[in-house]
Amino acid sequence: MNGYKIMVIDDENVVGKMIKSSFGQDGYIVEAFLDAKPALERLKEEKFDVIITDLKMKDIDGMEVLNRVKKEAPDIKVIMITAFASLDAAVEAFRKRVDDFFAKPVKIAELKACVKRLLEEKN
Amino acid sequence: MKLVYKITLANALGIIAIVLVAAFSYHDFNLLLAKLRFVEVADALNASFLEMRLSEKNYFLYNDKAAFNQIQKMIQENYLTIESMAPSIIKVIGKDNFEKLQLCLKRYDNAISKAVKEAEHNKDTLKIEEQVRPAGRALRLFSERIVKAERREVNNIISASKKTLLSFFGLIILVAILSNYFFFSRMFRNLRRIERTANSISEGKFVKIRGKIPDNELGSAMKAINSMCEELATRHEQLIQSKKLASLGTLTAGVAHELGNPLNNISMVAQTYLELATHLSEEEKTEYVQTILDETERIRKIVQDLLDFSRAKEKDFKICDVNDVVLRSLKLVKNTIEVSGLKTSLELTDDLPPVYVDEDKIREVLVNLLTNAIHATPPGGNIILRTNLAPDGKNITIEVEDTGKGIPPEFLEHIFDPFFSTKGTEGTGLGLSISYGIIKKHKGTIEVKSKVGVGTTFTIKLPIYTGEEG
Repeated sequence: MNGYKIMVIDDENVVGKMIKSSFGQDGYIVEAFLDAKPALERLKEEKFDVIITDLKMKDIDGMEVLNRVKKEAPDIKVIMITAFASLDAAVEAFRKRVDDFFAKPVKIAELKACVKRLLEEKN
Repeated sequence: MKLVYKITLANALGIIAIVLVAAFSYHDFNLLLAKLRFVEVADALNASFLEMRLSEKNYFLYNDKAAFNQIQKMIQENYLTIESMAPSIIKVIGKDNFEKLQLCLKRYDNAISKAVKEAEHNKDTLKIEEQVRPAGRALRLFSERIVKAERREVNNIISASKKTLLSFFGLIILVAILSNYFFFSRMFRNLRRIERTANSISEGKFVKIRGKIPDNELGSAMKAINSMCEELATRHEQLIQSKKLASLGTLTAGVAHELGNPLNNISMVAQTYLELATHLSEEEKTEYVQTILDETERIRKIVQDLLDFSRAKEKDFKICDVNDVVLRSLKLVKNTIEVSGLKTSLELTDDLPPVYVDEDKIREVLVNLLTNAIHATPPGGNIILRTNLAPDGKNITIEVEDTGKGIPPEFLEHIFDPFFSTKGTEGTGLGLSISYGIIKKHKGTIEVKSKVGVGTTFTIKLPIYTGEEG
């Protein structure tokens, strides 16, 4: 039980569910959200170590989530995933100090390695 | 019958009628001339006869001895006149009357000769008078009768010829009307059929000329128009297809994103399944597999939508809810809108009456309008879809509004013309003209309002379904 807390924001239900199952196996505590708004609300009450967010979402998009998190809680690591991986989006995300950027379909093993690396960096 | 022959025949009929009128008039005038000449001669003879009778009176009343000699001289002159004019007089009054006239003159001549001889022997003047006067009266009466008869005849000829001329005039008009009816009215009907077809071609409807095709020059023109129609319809179909393939290119970017999500889901479920297989309950395993199947179905639907859009299909009119059509159209371009950094706002009116439309076609129009809006609007812009009941209560309006660069006023009037494009080499210039044709076929209208730098709004009006199909 490593006890690290991960927040997943993706309007695709399956993404949150699988990350929960797979990461849960390794002792992570995963909370999944379909919309950004309730997720940002939750951030105010609970401290998370890593946020995995989708880029394109209905209400607030991933860039905006990244903006707010980096402004309000810069020590939270943010990983962005997107089904439409354009170079422009990636450049913009890195400019906004995203910690990593994944294109769908995501390799869970790589995602895990990335989370592990980011947590080590953090500590 | 060939038109050349028809026109020649109609002209020939007219010429024949005119020649007939001329011939009849010529004949009538000749007869009239002869009669008038006779009346002239007869008047002269009559005057001479009157003079003879006056001399007669002089002899009997005043015992003028020279009177008979004068009469005899006049008789000789009259003989000569009658003889010299014989053919024309016979022609007018006939041989019988001519001979009777000669006989009357002869009798008078004889009576006068006898009177002259008897006067020389100083016979009773009363007796002589009894012989001369009846012969003179007979001659004058006969000649007067003939002149009167001839004058009547002249009048008859004039009125008859007036009638003949009027009848011929009527006949010519009748021939003109009939030839117009038989030859030209059909020709004009056929010309009108050609005109109607040409008009519908210019409106983009390639309907062939139906019904009997005449076997003449117009028939050849009709056949040529029909094969042109066929050719145009084929080309038009090809153009529509190529336009669709072009907008399909635009859609592909969005579709890639749309497919990315279910593919990712399948991949993640499969990876998690492999990782956790030994720890998963039977129930969880079934759930994982079901998720994969669901996501596969999602992909199949996306692909199906795309295929439906790209395939040329037969007309398929159905009673539809406009909002459904709008939402389904938006689904096709939703990702393209997102990828382009645009937002969409839906302002759909609930519980609108249904429309009777070919849904695929209307979707094609909306996708086309949306694609245009996407191209015209810079990132951060907004695309608004609105449905409403038209103020007239008989139509439904669909509005596609963008906050894009707008269309300059000088382009606005050409925007529905085929091959007119503001996108340079990117556009085929067919999208809006095809959309216009589709909406027109639905008995609807499509209008555009635009302001440079503010945005563009396309408004489609479709008639509400009233229970009558089409």
